[in-house]
Amino acid sequence: MTQRDYAELWQRAPGGHLLLDDDGLITAVNATFTGWTGYTAEELLGTPFPKLLPIGDRVLYTTHSLPQLMVSGRIAEASVQVVGRDGSRHPALLSATRVSGPDGPETQLVLVDAQQRRRYEEELLAARRRAEESEARITRAEAELAELVHHDSLTGLLNRPGLLRALHDRLGAARADRGDGAVPTVLFIDLDGFKTVNDDLGHASGDELLQVVARRIRSASRAGADVARFAGDEFVVLDDVTPSGAARVADRLLDLLAEPVVLQGVEVVVTASVGICSAEVPASGPDAAELVLRRADNAMYRAKAQGSGRWTAHRPGDSDPGADRLVLLEQLRSGIRQGQLRVFYQPRLHLPTGRLSGVEALVRWEHPTRGLLQPGAFIDAAEQSGIIRELGAWVLAEAVEQAVRWDATGGPAGLQVAVNLSARQLADTDLVPLVARTLARAGLPAARLVLEITETALMSDPDAALRSLQALKELGVLLAVDDFGTGFSSFTYLKRFPVDELKIDRSFVTGMTTDPGDHAIVASCVHLAHAMGLVAVAEGVESAAECDALRALGADQAQGYFFSRPVPADDMPLPIVVA
Amino acid sequence: MSVESATEPVEVLPGPVAQRLHVTSTGDPDRPVLLLAHGFGCDQGMWDGVLPDFGADHRVVRYDLMGYGRSDVAAYDPEHYSTLDAHAADILAICAELDLHDVTLVAHSVSTMMALLAAVREPGRFRQVVLVAASPYFLEDPATGYDGGFSAADMAEVAGALDSNYFTWAEAMAPVIMGTPDAPEHGERLTASFCRVDPDVARQLLVVMFTTDFRPLLPRVTTPTVVVQSRADALVPPSVGEHLHAHLAGSTLVQLEAVGHCPHISAPEETAAAIRAHLLPR
Repeated sequence: MTQRDYAELWQRAPGGHLLLDDDGLITAVNATFTGWTGYTAEELLGTPFPKLLPIGDRVLYTTHSLPQLMVSGRIAEASVQVVGRDGSRHPALLSATRVSGPDGPETQLVLVDAQQRRRYEEELLAARRRAEESEARITRAEAELAELVHHDSLTGLLNRPGLLRALHDRLGAARADRGDGAVPTVLFIDLDGFKTVNDDLGHASGDELLQVVARRIRSASRAGADVARFAGDEFVVLDDVTPSGAARVADRLLDLLAEPVVLQGVEVVVTASVGICSAEVPASGPDAAELVLRRADNAMYRAKAQGSGRWTAHRPGDSDPGADRLVLLEQLRSGIRQGQLRVFYQPRLHLPTGRLSGVEALVRWEHPTRGLLQPGAFIDAAEQSGIIRELGAWVLAEAVEQAVRWDATGGPAGLQVAVNLSARQLADTDLVPLVARTLARAGLPAARLVLEITETALMSDPDAALRSLQALKELGVLLAVDDFGTGFSSFTYLKRFPVDELKIDRSFVTGMTTDPGDHAIVASCVHLAHAMGLVAVAEGVESAAECDALRALGADQAQGYFFSRPVPADDMPLPIVVA
Repeated sequence: MSVESATEPVEVLPGPVAQRLHVTSTGDPDRPVLLLAHGFGCDQGMWDGVLPDFGADHRVVRYDLMGYGRSDVAAYDPEHYSTLDAHAADILAICAELDLHDVTLVAHSVSTMMALLAAVREPGRFRQVVLVAASPYFLEDPATGYDGGFSAADMAEVAGALDSNYFTWAEAMAPVIMGTPDAPEHGERLTASFCRVDPDVARQLLVVMFTTDFRPLLPRVTTPTVVVQSRADALVPPSVGEHLHAHLAGSTLVQLEAVGHCPHISAPEETAAAIRAHLLPR
């Protein structure tokens, strides 16, 4: 190749070629480059090369590429644009080598056309920016959602999940060695008298009251505390405080909450009970949050038991009714499966004749370690947990089948069997079909079954109770109001309930021979029952004197230790006749 | 990617500020303090070339600008660093944490204005400030006859400027292994070192650089200054060095033979000698 060939090759190379002197001034440029840029070679000679770059590339070239060239002797494929005479941009990949020339060091610079690559890069970058934007949007949306999910819409406070999260966070961050003795502490607040407001002034006023209470609790708490509406009228303040700090917060809370609230022009006084529990730090175990909440809840109940407007703190070593209750329920659940439950029967007599008229089925639990347990030891827990459904269905079936077995073994014909129904069972939509199935399977006439419902259970939701009772009535079963006189019966409702019997509570019967007041109450109950066309039944008869007194008042039936304790079916002394 | 230092690995100093800004210390700990602040798009490795000249009779403290090099990028809060004040506060925080006094602060490029801000805020802390390739304002201002080197049209592009070569910045972060014809021993290492830049962080600093006029700051500087200017600096025209010299009371203007915006890279010996020649006598 001749010198001319080399020169030609250089001029028409596929890329732009330039030579720069040590000051960065252009000393030679090929035809490809002048073709791209529209400049003549003469215009470019002596021009600083960075001047041909847009600002961003000029900064890049100056602060990155040039120092790199100085140190390493090379620049490899920096992506830049070259600005042409008319302002047009030519994307190119810039490579350079620093060499020793005849007049000192010089730079050989090659620019390769990079239109296509540039387009890819721009698309990639735009996609990246879009992804960043949509990621930011998703993050925002998630934050808003978390806000909704973790807050109570009525009061704006944290809700139960929000509180649990805050508690987990605080327990996770808590260290024993904080130095000031402050630890995550739960103040569990329960309002006294909220239900009355809701019942008397309506739900709108109840809601307004909750909002006022929420604001007061917020203002009684320190900045930085988490405040939550835990459920209904239960609130929680969560803060890192010392025990004495917690006591100060509790005092402030009780003071502020005791201030009257005016709702619909009515001044309402709501008091509160507060339970305090400090977390053990470092927190132990995954259930630490639940544990501290349950202990604060229990402490609150102890405070409430002493009268409202008080606070109590959990002390290490306090028994944990909640935990005990869970153990009990677990044992009960397996006890039902393993056949540890028994039904005992207490005879009921027709007073005028002294003949056996029926039996009341009463459940007992043959506990493997604690012996024979009375219903009082486990029924409340079962009722609160819903196990009562399973337990109640079992007792009902057992009692109904026993009545049929007595029929078959020559027992007194037409013996009635009474079974207790709890409030929860009464509210169960499956109750009526369950009773119907049980009777049908055993083949017992409906009129031989008496379902006993306490006055309190009836009155907790009278309208729903009425519907259930009517449906049961249509089956043909008899209905009794249990523990009559202990609740707050509305006689209006009582008249509407399709009941057959009133069972006068044992507390009045026990006192009737010594206390004229109790005697008068029993007399009124008997009269009331008769006036409404109901059978008057006395419970808890323990002496001949009581039996005589009841006979004198005209009571129809009676049961009690005087006649017989509750006994297993096989021990039932048949026939029973009172002398 | 890890970057080795000039001679042996230099450990980052303990302390929260030192950890955050990757502060290192070399040289003689009992000698006067030279605090080196690197420039735009770089990290402290940029100063490797001048270290041999100062290590013997100085304690040389270096750090990475927040968001650059091995600073704790997780601690980079774009809002906080939306002005140079936050970076200036970082300089003062280093001095406080290391209990540095009578400091000679040598700053390059964008760090020069951070250095002046720091010196105005705590004049008692600094003995002298050396400004390498400094510019108080990059735009031309015809009303006052000031020429910062860039036009209003350039300015309009600043915000998008780094997007236009985003991947070049990003790629530059990867270590590049290449031949070194004139064989400076540390060439390969430096190539890797000074390219540690997060393009998004760089973009923010570039925008701050180009949108802030630091000229009003100059008369408030009471610390003695040295203005070191190289030839053919594509970012800083010669008139800018003259402007600094004119408006910094008691300043010295030093014109280098070296070329380009980074004379401490292209001519470390000349740059180091020029700085040394103008250090205030002890």
